[in-house]
Amino acid sequence: MFSGIKTLFSYRELLFSLTKKELKVKYRGSALGFFWSLLNPILTMLVYSFVFSIVLRAGIKEFAIFLICVLLPFNFLSNSVNYGTSSIIANSNLVNKIYFPREIIPLSIVLANLFNFLLELSALFIVLGIMGYRFYLYLYLLPVVIFIQFFLVVGMTLLVSALNVFFRDLQHLITIVMMVWFFGTPIIYPLSMVPERFQFIIKINPMTIFATYYRNIFYYVKYPEGAGFPSALETLTALGITLLIFFVGYFVFKRLEFRFAEEI
Amino acid sequence: MNSTGRKYREERIKNSGNDIAVAIKSVSKKYRIHHEKIPSLKQTIIKLKRTTYEEFLALDNVSFSVKHGETYGIVGPNGSGKSTLLKLMAKIILPTSGEVIINGPLSALLELGAGFHPDLTGRENIYINAAILGMKKKDVDGKLNDIIEFSELERFIDTPVKNYSSGMYMRLGFSVAINVNPDILLVDEVLAVGDQAFQSKCYKVIYDFMKMGKTIIIVSHDLETISDLCSRVIFLKDGKLIDMGKPLDIVAKYRAYIEELEKKRIIEQQRAERKKIFKTVIEGNRKVVDGEEISRLSNLSIDGETINRFGSGDAEISSIGLLDKSGREISYCNYGDEVKVVYKVLFKEKVKGPIFGIRITDYRGNIIYGTNSRLKNIRTGLFKKGDEVTVAFSFKITLIGGEYSVSPAVGYNDNKTYCDWVNDMFTINVIHRNVAEGLADLNPTVSVEKSVFKK
Repeated sequence: MFSGIKTLFSYRELLFSLTKKELKVKYRGSALGFFWSLLNPILTMLVYSFVFSIVLRAGIKEFAIFLICVLLPFNFLSNSVNYGTSSIIANSNLVNKIYFPREIIPLSIVLANLFNFLLELSALFIVLGIMGYRFYLYLYLLPVVIFIQFFLVVGMTLLVSALNVFFRDLQHLITIVMMVWFFGTPIIYPLSMVPERFQFIIKINPMTIFATYYRNIFYYVKYPEGAGFPSALETLTALGITLLIFFVGYFVFKRLEFRFAEEI
Repeated sequence: MNSTGRKYREERIKNSGNDIAVAIKSVSKKYRIHHEKIPSLKQTIIKLKRTTYEEFLALDNVSFSVKHGETYGIVGPNGSGKSTLLKLMAKIILPTSGEVIINGPLSALLELGAGFHPDLTGRENIYINAAILGMKKKDVDGKLNDIIEFSELERFIDTPVKNYSSGMYMRLGFSVAINVNPDILLVDEVLAVGDQAFQSKCYKVIYDFMKMGKTIIIVSHDLETISDLCSRVIFLKDGKLIDMGKPLDIVAKYRAYIEELEKKRIIEQQRAERKKIFKTVIEGNRKVVDGEEISRLSNLSIDGETINRFGSGDAEISSIGLLDKSGREISYCNYGDEVKVVYKVLFKEKVKGPIFGIRITDYRGNIIYGTNSRLKNIRTGLFKKGDEVTVAFSFKITLIGGEYSVSPAVGYNDNKTYCDWVNDMFTINVIHRNVAEGLADLNPTVSVEKSVFKK
C-alpha cells in the first residue's frame, strides 16, 4: 500500500496532466465551456424545485438551496463513478502499450470531477451570500467532509473501473445502482421525513451522513427547523464504511490491474 | 503487489557491478482465449453457463539476458511471441511463470502517440504523451523546441491532432518518445515512420542512443534494420527461443525459414487454384469424351497427390527423365547445358493425331515455358492400343538457377481435351553461377562509359 502510494506520487505529474486533459477535453469545442457544468445542476435544481415546491407543495423553504447543497456533492460521486466505470476500457490504447500505475486513469477522472465540484461550490457561495445565508458559520467543517467523501468516491470509482474490465455489463448496472443511491440519500427530501424504521437503512449509507453535514453547513444556517449534525457514532460509522469501501476498491484494483492489458 | 514484486523486479543501478540490463529467466506466458465474448456478470454469478476458453502458450520457457549497452534484435514470424516479450519487459503484463528483471529506467515505444487525444493540439498532446512516458513537466518545457523541431510540425503544432495526417501523427509521437531518454529502450516496429528523410533521422537517433551506451531491444520485420543495428539477435517461433547469436547468422536462418514458409504457402495456393482449373478442364473433357471412363486416371496418384493428374486415360504417361547430351540420365544440370526432357507414353486405346506437350513452371507456379508437338508442326499420326512412344524435348537450358517443375501431357487433336496430364511430374534443378534475378536470362553485355563534356 505505501509503496503503491510512493509510486503514485512519482507519477503525480501524469495524474495532473491526465486530469487537465480530462477537463480540457470536456469543455473544448463548446462555447460556454465550464458553464455547461453549472448548467446541469441548475437545470436539475429548477426541475426538482418546480416539482416539489409548486406541484407537490412539500413546504420546504427555498427548496432550490435545500436541494443543490446536497445535489452537488452527490453529483461529484455519481459523475466520477459513471465516467470511471468505462475509463480503463476507454483508455485501452494506453493500458495496452505503456506501463504506469493504472489507478491514475480512474483517479484523474475523480480529480477532474472534484475540480468541477469545487468550482460549483464557489458559485454556490456567491449565490448563498447574495441570498443572505450565513454559510461561513460552519465552513471549517466543509474541507473535512469533502476530504472524507473523496475517499468514498475514489474507492467506488476504483472498484467499478476494475470490475468493468472483466464484466462489461457492469456499466448498465451502475446506472441503476446510482439511481437507487440517489433516492436512498436525503437529497430531494429531508432526513426527518424518513419513517423511523427506515432511518437505520438510510443512515448506513455514508452519503446520508455527508448530506446531513452539507445541509447543516449550507442550508440550516438560515432555516434551522430540522437542523442537527449527525451524532459521533453516525459520523464514525460513515467514516468506517467509507474507509472499507476505499480499501476494498483499492485492493481489488491492485489485484486485477496486471490482467487489464490481457483482457482489453 | 507482493505477487507482482516476485515476478517483476525493478532495480535501480545501485550495484555498479551488475552489467545486466534485462534478464529473462525461464519466462512463460499463457493467455486465455475466450470462446465467447467477455463473460457477463449474470453468467459469472449464476454460473449457469460456464465460459469456455483455451489456453494459449504465447511464450514457452524463454531465457536470455541483455547487457548494458547492447542492442538486441528479436525476429520471428507473426504470433511467435515477440510483442508479448516486449510487453513483459515493459511491465504491461506479468509472466505466468519465470522472472523478468530490469535494471534501470526503461521506456517502451510499443506504439507512437499512445494517448494522443484528437481534440487537443499537438503542443498539448506533447505534454500529455511525455507525462505518460514518464517525463517531468520541467524537462518537457526544456525540450519542447527540440521535440517540435524534430517532428517538423512547427506550422501545425497548435492545430488539434485530429487534423493531422497519419504520418504527422507518428512523427510527433516519435519525436516525443525519443526525448524521454531512458537507459533501456524497447522498440516495436516503429522505426518505419514518415518519409525517407524522416526515417534516416530516426535511425540517426537510434545510432546516437547506441553511442551513448544505452540498451536497445528492437522487434522488427525489417531484417536489414536488424542486421544493421543489432549486436545480437534472437529468433522466436511459436513462443520458443529457436536460436540466438550474431545478427547475420540469425537473420540468414530466419530468412531461410520464411522463404521456406512462403514457398509452402505459394505451392499450397497454386494447388488450390489448379484444382479449380483442373475441375473445369476435366468437366470439359467429360463432355467431349462422352461415355468414356475418363476419371480413371485422375484416381491414380503420384506421391499421394491425385489432383496432379487427369485425362481420359486413352494414353498414359509412364515415366519421365532428364538426359544430358550423351543420353545419360541426370538429376541436375548447369546453366547452358544441352539437355533432353524425355517421357514415355503407353497407348491403351486407339488415338488419332495426339498432341504431346510439356510445361515448365517455377516453384511459384509461374509458367516459364510451354510447347507441344502441334506448335512445333509435328504430325504424330495414328496410334493403336499397346503402342509405346518416347517423346523428347531437347533444348539448351537458359534458366536462372533454381528448381523448376515439368508437367508432360498427351492431348487429343482437338487441342482441348487430354488423354493424360501429369502435373509437376518432374523437377529440374538448374545450377547457375552467374548472379542474376528474375525469370528469363536475357544474357546482356554490359558497358559503362564516362560521358565527355565540352566546355
